[in-house]
Amino acid sequence: MMDRLESLLQPDQVSTQEETRVAYSRDASRIQGECRAVVWPETVTDVVRLAQWAAETGIDLVPRGAGTGLCGGATPQNSVVVDSARLRQMDVLNIQLKQVVVEAGVPLDQLNMNLRSAGLFLPVIPGSHRSATIGGMIATNAAGLHAVRYGRMANWVENIIVVNGNGQVQCLAGSERSNSAGWEGITGMIVQATLRLTECPGKRSLTLLSFENLRIMLDQIDTLKTNPELSAMEYVNPNAAIMVGWAAKHTLLIEYHNSDGEIKDPEEISIIWRGRESLSARLTQAGYPVSEDPQIPPEAQEEILGWLFAQEIPVFGHLGVGILHPRFLPDDPRIPELYGRVSVAGGRINGEHGMGLKKRRWASEALKKDFHALKTQFDPHHVFNRGKLC
Amino acid sequence: MLIDLKENSICTECGLCREVCPVFQIYHQEEYSPRGRAILGTTGIQTLIYYQCTLCRTCRVVCPIGHDPSGETLRSGLIAVGVETPANQTMIANIRQYGNPFGLLAEGEIPKTLTCC
Ligand SMILES: Cc1cc2nc3c(=O)[nH]c(=O)nc-3n(C[C@H](O)[C@H](O)[C@H](O)COP(=O)(O)OP(=O)(O)OC[C@H]3O[C@@H](n4cnc5c(N)ncnc54)[C@H](O)[C@@H]3O)c2cc1C
Ligand code: SF4
Ligand code: SF4
Repeated sequence: MMDRLESLLQPDQVSTQEETRVAYSRDASRIQGECRAVVWPETVTDVVRLAQWAAETGIDLVPRGAGTGLCGGATPQNSVVVDSARLRQMDVLNIQLKQVVVEAGVPLDQLNMNLRSAGLFLPVIPGSHRSATIGGMIATNAAGLHAVRYGRMANWVENIIVVNGNGQVQCLAGSERSNSAGWEGITGMIVQATLRLTECPGKRSLTLLSFENLRIMLDQIDTLKTNPELSAMEYVNPNAAIMVGWAAKHTLLIEYHNSDGEIKDPEEISIIWRGRESLSARLTQAGYPVSEDPQIPPEAQEEILGWLFAQEIPVFGHLGVGILHPRFLPDDPRIPELYGRVSVAGGRINGEHGMGLKKRRWASEALKKDFHALKTQFDPHHVFNRGKLC
Repeated sequence: MLIDLKENSICTECGLCREVCPVFQIYHQEEYSPRGRAILGTTGIQTLIYYQCTLCRTCRVVCPIGHDPSGETLRSGLIAVGVETPANQTMIANIRQYGNPFGLLAEGEIPKTLTCC
């Protein structure tokens, strides 16, 4: 079967070497899997051939972008990993329509650097923006640092070109986009997308607010949100703040796309953002490797954030949209307790990272129903991301 | 913030350093990325991939915790178990036999091939 795989593509597009299989055996979640082989398609036709091969052989394919996912979505389970790293063309930029056509493997920062001269950018910025790919961001419907202003990835996708589990190439536009965006690659491999863009902000400024009392901080949020130029509202709890040398207080990092913030020096702003963005890796290093991503409704934030603080759990995240990242050790019994609290409060246990392998046992009946309907329609042989989500 | 050069944190495998690595930019394969090397390093696999690092340390600069791939250490591990590239072996043999990395040279001859790792 592997011989046939090798005959589908050029020799340098397939590897079954031990080094390769080891390096692709997990994503940033560090949930370990087993990788049979890795392939690097260079065209849509390559992906079509791979899907047909997988349907015939029964071996499943795992689409992979930058592998920055935090729930094992790109972890193979005795699968062939399809890495989008050679699908990196940026095709047509339509400045009038503010749209760009890109292949799935383009990293976000590279796209935005290319767009800079046109004064445009894709404003969905996950903390992994240096590496995260457009395909991975669509598949997870990424949110991120500026979600309070710009929302999630699905808001910025005009259409998506997907190779489904039958090896058919489909263009999903309008309401059909939701058959791919946010479905973590279970309906097929995204190969290309037309993205909507917006103007780069002329100015940026920042305010750091620290509070001893959580309730007093939460009371400020609605007022802060009335500023139409608000572009980020990040929260860092006292247990996490000390990791970056900030005071052990409930801290809000507020960014504006005008001069309303207290800090206006671009260098100072970038130092603060670097501190905030280093939190994920620092907490992993400090012994809290598991990143959760509950989305907590405003009315439950005091109770749940208060409980996390009392448990001495470090938390940071996108409070402007209620998505927080408490950090734990693997198998910490407080993780299911957190999920329970979030569910009772009407929130989501998967705010932005997806379900992947990590949360599949928590899948709701409604999710399972939608999953099965989509699989029947797009991937009846379970070619893509078998065993993920549910 | 400058990271103390003596520190070398354990890689958290976040993948934020992939795009700055010049070797990853050529291969676009994870095993050649700084994270890939760190993963391979923890498994104890001795692989010639360790030679394909420019030791530029750009990955360390962008890494939020200053992980250093320690290319020299990984390579010395290879030497210790006798894993070398053919080019490496030729160079060492030439130095031993002829006192230079190029091989047999006539008086005044300019070497046509530079063999190095
Ligand atoms: C330090 C750090 C900070 C982060 N911050 C954020 C944040 O602020 N907001 C946020 O939303 N996420 C965040 N993440 C999580 C992660 O970066 C995002 O989920 C990102 O969108 C994943 O992109 P990727 O290219 O790395 O995808 P991968 O990790 O490679 O894959 C993620 C999922 O998408 C699927 N997939 C990938 N490419 C394709 C494709 N071409 N077609 C179909 N399916 C595909 C995979 O199978 C997998 O299920 C963070 C991660 C890290 C390590
Ligand atoms: S030191 Fe090696 S691994 Fe790091 S960026 Fe340079 S070439 Fe890549
Ligand atoms: S070297 Fe640093 S940036 Fe790269 S994967 Fe490891 S922790 Fe992340």
